[in-house]
Amino acid sequence: MRMTCKAFAKKLFGAKYERLSRTFFIYLIVFWGLYIAGWKVQIAPFIRYLMVSALTAGMMWQALSAKDIAVEMKHMMMLPFECRKFVFSYVAVIGVYTVLIKTAALLAVLLAVSVWRPTEILASVICIIHAILMTAAVYYLKKYWYAGSLWAAVIAAVVLFWGNKPWLILLLCVNSIFAALLLCKADGYDFYRRENEKSQTIKRREHGSVWRYFFRYLRFHKNYLFNTAVMWCVALLLPYFLGEIEGVFVVPIGFAILSLNTPVCILLSCDRDLEQAVRFLPGQRRAFCIPYCLFLFLCNMAADVIFLCSWQLQSNGVTATMIIAAMFFALQSAILSVMLEWFYPIRDWKIESDLWHHPRKYIVPGMMLLLAGAVGAWTSLIPVLMILLVVEAVILLLFFCRGI
Amino acid sequence: MGAALLTVKNLNAWYSDEKMILSDFSLELAEHEVAGLIGLNGAGKTTFLKVLSGLLPTFRSGGIYFCGSPVNFRKRDFKLCRYTVFAEDNSFSYFTFREYLSYVFSAYRKERPDLSDLIRGFHFEEYTDILLKDLSTGNRKKAFLITAFALKPQLLFLDEPVNGLDFQSTEYLYQQISRYKEHGTILFSSHILESITLTSDRVFVLEHGKVRQTFERGQISAADIREALHYENDM
Repeated sequence: MRMTCKAFAKKLFGAKYERLSRTFFIYLIVFWGLYIAGWKVQIAPFIRYLMVSALTAGMMWQALSAKDIAVEMKHMMMLPFECRKFVFSYVAVIGVYTVLIKTAALLAVLLAVSVWRPTEILASVICIIHAILMTAAVYYLKKYWYAGSLWAAVIAAVVLFWGNKPWLILLLCVNSIFAALLLCKADGYDFYRRENEKSQTIKRREHGSVWRYFFRYLRFHKNYLFNTAVMWCVALLLPYFLGEIEGVFVVPIGFAILSLNTPVCILLSCDRDLEQAVRFLPGQRRAFCIPYCLFLFLCNMAADVIFLCSWQLQSNGVTATMIIAAMFFALQSAILSVMLEWFYPIRDWKIESDLWHHPRKYIVPGMMLLLAGAVGAWTSLIPVLMILLVVEAVILLLFFCRGI
Repeated sequence: MGAALLTVKNLNAWYSDEKMILSDFSLELAEHEVAGLIGLNGAGKTTFLKVLSGLLPTFRSGGIYFCGSPVNFRKRDFKLCRYTVFAEDNSFSYFTFREYLSYVFSAYRKERPDLSDLIRGFHFEEYTDILLKDLSTGNRKKAFLITAFALKPQLLFLDEPVNGLDFQSTEYLYQQISRYKEHGTILFSSHILESITLTSDRVFVLEHGKVRQTFERGQISAADIREALHYENDM
C-alpha cells in the first residue's frame, strides 16, 4: 500500500515532492496578500460548502479520468496487488493531490476574505473528504452513470436547500461511509481507463489540411468541445448581467471574458509530440501557426457574435464600434495565445488536469480584461488599438512567413 | 567514400548542466552512404539525432558543416534537406497517413510520388485511411518510414527504425536502407546488430557521448562490433 501511494504521489507531486512546497508557498502568498488587504466578503456557510465540494469533486473526477494517470495505472496493473488496498491507496493519493493542489487555492482565498468559525472549518473538511469519497464511488459506478448522476444531484440539492441545517454534516458523514463501503467492493481495474481499441477508417482524403486537423482535434476532445459550448451559453447570458451596469461601455468586458476558452489555446502544450513535429518540419511557423491563430480567432469570434446577437435582442443597440471591438479582442487574444504556445509552451505539467488549470493559460484573458477596462473607460482607444493590431499583425506575418 | 556531406566537430550536448550527454563528439558523413550508430543505452545516439534534427538547443561545437558550409540545424534551408524518423512519435495523431504525407510533402514543397510499392512493401495497404492515433506502434512507425523513403531527403536520420516492426517489414526496411544510397545519406541508430551489419557502409560505436571506434566497409563484422560493445560494457 505504501509503495502504491509512493508511486502515484511521485508522479503527481514530483520525484522529491517539490511541487507540494512550491504550491503551498504560492497559496500562502495569495492568502497573506488577501488577508492583509483586509478585503472581506459575506459568504453564507452553505455556499462555501457547496463551492468546496463542487470544486473538489470536479477536480477529483478530472484527475481520475486523466490519460497520464492511465499510463501509470497500466504499469501498476501488471503487478500483483490486493484490490482493496490498491483502491484505497489510489483514491487517497488522488484525493490528497486534489485537495493540496486544487482545492487549497479556493480555501486560501475563502479563508482570507471571509470570516470562519472553527465548526465551519471542520464542516468544510468533512465536505472535502465527502466529495473525494463520493466522486471515487461514482467513478467506480460509471457504467451505471444514471444512478451516479442522480446520487450526485440529490446530494447537491440537499446542500443547496438545507445547507444551514445542523444535520447536514451528519448526512455527509453517513454518505461518506456509504461511499467508502462501495469502494470496498471496487477493483483496481474499475479505475483503469482502457485505451480505445477501435480504429475507424476515415473518408479517404488526399490533402492534409491543418484546419481539418483542428476541427477533428476538437471533435475527439469532448471536454474541449463542451468548454466551447459552455462559452457560447455564457455569451448568450452575459448581456443580461452586463446590461445592468450603466454609464460604462461594458461590451469589451464581455469580449474579454469570452476569450477565456483556454483549452483550445494549449494545442502544443498538451501534445509534446505535435510540438516536436511542428518544430522539426520546415515552414511550420507559417503552415501551422497562422492557421492556428485564425482557428482561435474564429472560436473567439463565434462566441462574440452570439454575445452581440444576444445584446441586440435585449438592448437593440449593437454599433459598428462594438463589432470592431469584438474583432479586436478576438484577434488580439488569438495572436497572444499562439505566441505564448510557440515561444513558451507549458512543459511542467504532470497530468492533463494541471494543464487545464495552469496559471499561464489565464495570462491572455487577464490582459484582455485589462484592455477591456481601458477601452470601457476611454472608448476612443478602439481605433488606436485597431491600428496597433494591424501593425502587430503585419510584423508578425513577416516574422512567421520568413525562414524556419 | 564520397565527398563530405555533414561534418560535426567536437560537439558537446547536454540536457542539464550537471551531465554532458555528448562530449567532443566528432563525426563526418559522406554523400551517398549508410552510417550506423550503435552503443549501449545512454551512449548518446538519440541525443545526437535530436541535435541534428534541431530539437536540442543546448549544445556547443567546434564547427558543423553541411556540404562544406556552416549550418544552423533550425534554418529552413537545412530542414528542407533532412527528415528524421523518431524512435517514438505520436505527432499529428488526428491525421490519417495520407493526410500526414500530404502535409509533410507540402512542408517540404515536393510533389507526392507514387507510393504503392512502399505501401505494399511495408504491408500498410489497410491502414492508409486510419487516424495515426488509432494505429499500433509498429504501424505508426511504418507510416513515418514510408513518408521518409517517399520524401527522399538528402539526409535521412532514423532513430531505432527496426523497433516495433514485424519480420517482413524489417527485411523490407533493410532493402530500402541499402537502396537509399542512390538518393542520399542515411544515419541510423540501432540496438540490433544485424540491422547495422546488413546495411551500413560505416559503423560508429558510441561510448559515453563519444565515438569510440569506427568500422569501415570491409571491416564490419558482427563479432568485432560485439567485442567493441563488450569492451564498453566491461569498462
